[in-house]
Amino acid sequence: MNYTKKLMLFLNMALLVIAIQFSGYVQAEKEKPYVPKKMDIYEGFPDWYNSVFKDNVGLKEGAGLFKDYYKPLKMQMYFSPLRHYEPPTVMDHTLFIEKERRDLCIRCHEGINTGAVEDWRRSAHFNPRKSGIIARKTKIIEGAIGKEIVSVDCFDCHVDTEKKQIRLPSAEECSECHERQVREFNSEKDHGRPNHIQAWEANVLVPWYPEAYRRGWLAGNGGCDMCHGISDKCDPCHTRHTFSAAEARRPQACMSCHMGPDHPDAESYGESKHGVIYEMEEERYNFDKPLAHVLVGEEYRTPTCQFCHMYQGGGRFTHNFVSKGIWRMGTVPPSNIEYKSSLKDYPYGINIIAPKIDIHSEENLDKRDKWIELCSNCHSPRFADVYLEQLDDFMFQAFGLTDDAQKIIDDLIADDILYPSSQNRDIYPLGDKLAELLPASLIGDGVWNAFKKTGGKVPVIGPILGVYALFYQGENNPTHIETSYAKMWFWYKLQGYKGFAHAQQDIMWWWGQSPMLQELGNIQSEAMRMRREAAIEQALGSKASHSQGGGSESHQPLTKKVSEFLQFFSVNE
Amino acid sequence: MVYLNKKEGISKGSNICWKNILSSAIVAVFVTILCLGNLAMAQGKLKPVSEEEFKKGKDIYNKYCAACHGEEGNGNGPLNGALYPKPRDFTKGQYKIRSNPTGSLPTDADLIHVISVGVHGTSMIPWDILELDQIKSILPVLKSFSEAWQYREPEPSVVLGREMQATQNTIARGKELYEQKECWKCHGEIGHGDGPSSYDLEDEWAIPIQAYDFTREGKYKGGATNKDIYLRFTTGMNGTPMPSFANELSDEDRWCMVHYVKSLTKQKKDRHEE
Repeated sequence: MNYTKKLMLFLNMALLVIAIQFSGYVQAEKEKPYVPKKMDIYEGFPDWYNSVFKDNVGLKEGAGLFKDYYKPLKMQMYFSPLRHYEPPTVMDHTLFIEKERRDLCIRCHEGINTGAVEDWRRSAHFNPRKSGIIARKTKIIEGAIGKEIVSVDCFDCHVDTEKKQIRLPSAEECSECHERQVREFNSEKDHGRPNHIQAWEANVLVPWYPEAYRRGWLAGNGGCDMCHGISDKCDPCHTRHTFSAAEARRPQACMSCHMGPDHPDAESYGESKHGVIYEMEEERYNFDKPLAHVLVGEEYRTPTCQFCHMYQGGGRFTHNFVSKGIWRMGTVPPSNIEYKSSLKDYPYGINIIAPKIDIHSEENLDKRDKWIELCSNCHSPRFADVYLEQLDDFMFQAFGLTDDAQKIIDDLIADDILYPSSQNRDIYPLGDKLAELLPASLIGDGVWNAFKKTGGKVPVIGPILGVYALFYQGENNPTHIETSYAKMWFWYKLQGYKGFAHAQQDIMWWWGQSPMLQELGNIQSEAMRMRREAAIEQALGSKASHSQGGGSESHQPLTKKVSEFLQFFSVNE
Repeated sequence: MVYLNKKEGISKGSNICWKNILSSAIVAVFVTILCLGNLAMAQGKLKPVSEEEFKKGKDIYNKYCAACHGEEGNGNGPLNGALYPKPRDFTKGQYKIRSNPTGSLPTDADLIHVISVGVHGTSMIPWDILELDQIKSILPVLKSFSEAWQYREPEPSVVLGREMQATQNTIARGKELYEQKECWKCHGEIGHGDGPSSYDLEDEWAIPIQAYDFTREGKYKGGATNKDIYLRFTTGMNGTPMPSFANELSDEDRWCMVHYVKSLTKQKKDRHEE
């Protein structure tokens, strides 16, 4: 026992000495600055945000034009496989790479990444001839890369043989074999936003994103980031490590992102007859087959997200999900209706948002034909045509309702009755910097001047930049009435749209048209209240205008009731 | 540690006087000399290795082993959290897979064998990727982690009896013994590793462990040859509830057990084919 005690004492002393020496070593080994490792394959559209993925996702810096105005959430580095991965330092893998010991990767990692290895064993990578269809696909790939494929294992995707390092593969590595799929997916950006490739750009190039950071709210934007980080990856749909085409052909592959108030795709499809039948008879659907070979009616009783949205016409399916998109997300006003409000001037000279859509342009009519062709797999072309025409009519009238709402608020602003006015409240998100950061050539002279002159105290309502109410709440900005309008714009119109487009009538009405009407009602009564209060103020002889910015003197005629009230008031005085 | 605490108590006490300080200094010097002496003596028991050789082994250990087993050899390397079964803690001097009697330290050949063929069902890969010399150089490092190596010598490997041929009879006898010796309590009635005691099995480190599922083909931790399995029955697995049957069962009976547990994999296969 004595021996043990003495030895313990000695060891303790020795450990202390080692610890002291070690602490010096730890200090010397400071955090190294992040060096971007690789060019990004996505060029984006248009060109000015090229750097978005190139060197800025996550880590030390933000992305895009506002990159100096926010520090990204730490999680963001995981959105791009190229950004976060550091080759292992605890275990030198060079020896395994040099000797190409593929068997050892599996032996060891089976215990570490149990799920990953098990997934891979079930995948077509493990057995590229596991079924007739997969064997044929493998043969095509073999032809393209000029190499026989026995099995695709850890080594093939995770080893950078030049650098003798472990890597995390991104879409670029996948494209070594799956070139067509990656190219098709990339081609989404040629159709403008929204698309998967520019999802990250859309996430961080809105002024409320850096504003959220400035106000200490960015952690909450994790909810946006986690879907919008899809751009550089294949595994959001073909999940690791099965990377199954069959899995990605199932509607559930889309559902964790495509849901919720602004795009209730999962809800509307899931509760439609299409979706309900799919759910009831899932086992009768053949997801092993490429979409182009599916026997409609026999192997798919109803369509899936993928079947409709990947269809390119003429029996072709590709990885481009947006090529048939006519209404985009339902956020861009059509040019086919007359507007009473300032919507007639949309996009106000701003070049970074989409111009009005001509629903009946040649291009869009072509898209429409493709939809009808698609629906005609099961329905009569006339039915499809009528249904889609009615969808357009719904959208036209929905934009009409938002036009009514916008007119009410336009007038309040013009009459200097909107309370609190833009002069007497917080700035528009990042409004104080926008004129510096966005040149007039991007946002138009008018808008640029307004931001420049007012330092960001500009009322912004309506499409796209006006929906900030749902992402930012400054002090009294936006007001109740503007928030109602933003919801009408970005929630209820879109819910009605998706409800109709995915044939879920209840969502269309109760989460779409009905709340849209309710909000319009709220906007009307709120506007009336503001006018009434303004009239009271005026009658009481207080300052006629509550803003420093002046404004129109001429108010709208007061309603009878308010006039009566005021009369009563003045008589009693 | 108790010793240390006591000493601290003295020096921190209110009666600090030269006598105390002097006596503690004398004690400290004495203890240090004793420790050094012990160490010198202890090293005599180990096979002597030059400092240079030890350093070479330590480098290899740190490069390839420490990620799991830890630089201190306590099984607490950076990857520990990701691993199950947990990497071996060398500080106790307990080794499961050996060729010598239960409780003994492993022979050098045992260590080299396990390192070269790996441990199935764990992340311990066959390190045949290293040269034999490199593997050998790690042994003194492993031994430096536990004082057990200073006071005890590995016992010689057990002598293997002549291997019996598997027959219906030996399998039937094995089955009888499997029930008699209550193997089923942990390993389950048909060898699925799901016996009544299997759910709260722990090893000496209080880490939950699983009884082996004999129906998994060839995943025996210590190797899947008849000889390997025979050795497990004979030597036990130190640090785990798996005992040695060297004294309880005759040589023949242990071979019968081997035949029986091996037949369990086959039974599963047959069931699948049906």
